[in-house]
Amino acid sequence: MTANGKTTGVSVGAEIGRFEDVRKDYGSVTAVDGVSFTLRAGETVAFLGPNGAGKSTSLDMLLGLREPSSGRVSLFDGSPRDAIASGRVGAMLQSGGLMEDVTVRELIRLSCDLHPHRRPVDEVLADAGLTEIADRRSDKLSGGQAQRLRFGMAIAGRSDLIVLDEPTVGMDVSARQAFWKSMRTIADSGRTVLFATHYLEEADNVADRVLVVNRGRLIADGTAAEIKDRAGARHVSFDLEELPARSLLEQLPALVSLEVHGRTVRMRTSDADATVAAVYGAGLYPRGLEVTSVGLEQAFLTLTADDENHTQRNDEQGALR
Amino acid sequence: MSTLIRLEVIRIFRNKKVVFFTLLYPAILYMIFAQSSGRIGGLSVKLYVMVSMAAFGAVGATLMSTAQGISQERAKGWVRQLRLTALNQNGYVISKIIAAAATSGPAIAVVMLVGGLVNGVRMPAWQWPVLLIALWLGSLVFAALGVALGYLGSPSTIQPILMICYLGLSLLGGLWMPTTGFPTVLRKISEAMPTYRFGAIGRTIEAGQFPHGADLAVLAGYLVVFVVLAGRLYRRDRSRA
Repeated sequence: MTANGKTTGVSVGAEIGRFEDVRKDYGSVTAVDGVSFTLRAGETVAFLGPNGAGKSTSLDMLLGLREPSSGRVSLFDGSPRDAIASGRVGAMLQSGGLMEDVTVRELIRLSCDLHPHRRPVDEVLADAGLTEIADRRSDKLSGGQAQRLRFGMAIAGRSDLIVLDEPTVGMDVSARQAFWKSMRTIADSGRTVLFATHYLEEADNVADRVLVVNRGRLIADGTAAEIKDRAGARHVSFDLEELPARSLLEQLPALVSLEVHGRTVRMRTSDADATVAAVYGAGLYPRGLEVTSVGLEQAFLTLTADDENHTQRNDEQGALR
Repeated sequence: MSTLIRLEVIRIFRNKKVVFFTLLYPAILYMIFAQSSGRIGGLSVKLYVMVSMAAFGAVGATLMSTAQGISQERAKGWVRQLRLTALNQNGYVISKIIAAAATSGPAIAVVMLVGGLVNGVRMPAWQWPVLLIALWLGSLVFAALGVALGYLGSPSTIQPILMICYLGLSLLGGLWMPTTGFPTVLRKISEAMPTYRFGAIGRTIEAGQFPHGADLAVLAGYLVVFVVLAGRLYRRDRSRA
């Protein structure tokens, strides 16, 4: 077992955390609106959503910094506070400040000493890329260096779950790559990682599982590939000499959405092969056929837009009643 | 938690402003004031001002090592960060209070050293440690006030709040000049100040007596008020996250 290895015996796949119909209201504003999910040991989970979607509030509740208005949050079969006190969770907050007038090394040593299963200070400094700036004062760091210091504090002990809120904010591209490299080392040692982000490529590249939140609700939960499928993973577009009845196009298999502008047909489909085969099968002769893949970014925009349209429709129906 | 306490103490002594105001400034003032001969309230000026300046330094040390840091660290999220560690829930405040005590002790000791070594103060041997310990314990009243102020003020308001309290309490409490010259109304106000009682306790020890019950009672009353206030503001802050 390496120094990064776990000290506790959570077997991969076992449930380690749970959100049950969690809701958080601030006065008349609902920040988190009935979110449920389970965290399993060994996963790397991205918590993805636009600013103001309820990510930070959800993480605050997961870490016991805020109490839910209703619903239940548990970590390792207990309260978040108990999980933190027993050293099973290491966390880094976007809003987490640093003590001033002390050096990077002193702060890392503090975090190590406060952790029930501490790791050696030098090892933590190295893992977080802090060795070269170890003697610098915490108040004299750049934004990216301060983020690395917060990360170092989150990995100062052998925690089973690492929670990171927007970990790469303020980092340049190379720092970001270095960060995810050290993050992978940690995930590979069998630990569970949950990170909030609004960088889609991070969720796509790093996470085994993506939770998409929008306006306080969980609107998708699956692998990046599954989420792309759900949003319609392929764009198919072509021109037709003669347009058939719209109903014929709407019956195409695996179709997610359909737009017709003049003689140009644009579709999203979860199975481009089946859809295109059916187009020929229907006796149509498409010209300029293009099949392009949808990135997670496009999938994300589609999902959140669908969610908004849906909510709006409900609101309108409510108003009519 | 010992690492946190050690860091809290180290950083106070790294802060040049705090070191100047709590350690050097009262000692320098004492050297200047003690030049005049004569007696105030049955004590030589040297003795009288030694307690005044030791108390002045101790009040500054406790207020500065608590209020400023707490208000800034609340705003900047350090308090939240600490709540993500296994640190005891009250560990942050406890370490601040211990750090305050670790700062006020030297502040008192420096002035007393100047008294004994530079200003030629002579007292029976037992009075030195008793005076040091009494002032040191008494300074914890102001640590409680500092904690309350830290949870009351925002980083932008804490500086003026702190200075008004520090200078106001020192001036009204007669730490800068004896209150005997004050008009009657002002003298009544002065006698109600915790700093007045704090100084009075020190001076009775210098006179070789046990501190008066009234001084102890008023100071203890302030301690209770400050602790209750600090506790209430602290809990309000915790529930806000």
